[in-house]
Amino acid sequence: MYIHQTYCISAQQDLLQDDIEQINEPIDKKLLAIEPSYEKIPPGILRRMGKSIRMGVGAALPLISETKVDGIILGSANAGMDDCVKFLNQMVQYEEGQLTPGSFVQSTGNVIAGQLGLITKNKGYNITHIHLGLAFENALLDAMMQLNANASNSYLVGGVDEISPFHYNIETLAGSYKSEDISNKKLYESDSPGCVVGEGATMFIVNNSADGAIAKVKAISSLHSSDLDLVQQQLKSFLQKNLAEGETIDLFLSGENGDNRTLPFYQAVESIAGEDTAIVRYKHMTGDFATASALGLWYACQFLKNQSLPGHMLKRQSSKAAFSNILIYNNFKGVQHSFVLVSAN
Amino acid sequence: METAELKEQLKKQVVEFLNLSTVNPADIKDDEPLFGEGLGLDSIDSIELIVLLGREYGVDIKDPKEGRKILTSINTMAAYIEEHRTK
Repeated sequence: MYIHQTYCISAQQDLLQDDIEQINEPIDKKLLAIEPSYEKIPPGILRRMGKSIRMGVGAALPLISETKVDGIILGSANAGMDDCVKFLNQMVQYEEGQLTPGSFVQSTGNVIAGQLGLITKNKGYNITHIHLGLAFENALLDAMMQLNANASNSYLVGGVDEISPFHYNIETLAGSYKSEDISNKKLYESDSPGCVVGEGATMFIVNNSADGAIAKVKAISSLHSSDLDLVQQQLKSFLQKNLAEGETIDLFLSGENGDNRTLPFYQAVESIAGEDTAIVRYKHMTGDFATASALGLWYACQFLKNQSLPGHMLKRQSSKAAFSNILIYNNFKGVQHSFVLVSAN
Repeated sequence: METAELKEQLKKQVVEFLNLSTVNPADIKDDEPLFGEGLGLDSIDSIELIVLLGREYGVDIKDPKEGRKILTSINTMAAYIEEHRTK
């Protein structure tokens, strides 16, 4: 499966900012997305949209208003949950009496893909995967399977999640986020549990054509486990199966997020990736959230295209002059693991 | 509540309920059509407005034909509220 176009909305105006002093820092412990003006969304529709819907539709329209796609495949752990909570609160507040339709219409899991289908009059395959930290990876896998069955098709694939007040409070109580105020510039120096939360939307146009492609997604693998040995075994067999004889990983794109509870997993994967593999981290730029790995894939595409990256993202340098194979590993809450192997076209 | 005060309150509520973030309540004219031309509201907005009238003023609109007349403008909404309000 080849990636041809990308677009993202994230916490940074420039996700490839070289100067770490210039990057946006968390506000009230949250790395909030920098939203564009959404000129492609009709104003009458835009005013009803919650943030995740705005971001998702706003990131997708620049791609699919120019390029026709045969289906829309998204990953979002929470999608329209904020509107869903608003609607449920109204039910309680008004004793199931008069309820406004706006929040209800925007409250479903498939609302972003649905809105995109309606706005662009796309009646093709339309689905949202909602498996928390594997939602985006499952969307990618779905796109691969669709392309196996319909070789000449093109698909929009993406990942979207927002920081909603309800979700933030629940995750804070669950200990998902750092309790101390820290700068994202020093995220990896913190030896404490939790991450810095972020939000964003990332979209890709994918198909089976190698012509003009930015990158190729060679393979995806995921598992649910808290067993470090099992994760290592799965990675070894994943690399064995998908790398040719003598082929190595040039760059390991790590989803390390400053949470000392998941650090052992990332360190274990680093040790398997190879001694002369560059190790690169990105979550000090994006924050962490269920579909942050979509931004990881966006980064992989940029690195393959530009063959360069900001120095502050490097954890370990490599002697290799160019990147050809990139391994993306993401760990969500210590139990959801994904490996994505991306290569130059 | 005076009619003028009710109209000002209604304008603020319409903007808030319908998320008309680019509209200043003071810029809505009392006789300006709310649907089509004018504010350009649509059918989902009409349901939001019916809910607004019920919640805030205890006004119950059951007949869709009647609703169309009541929701024509701020003037028509205010007149109906003054006659039928229970809150």
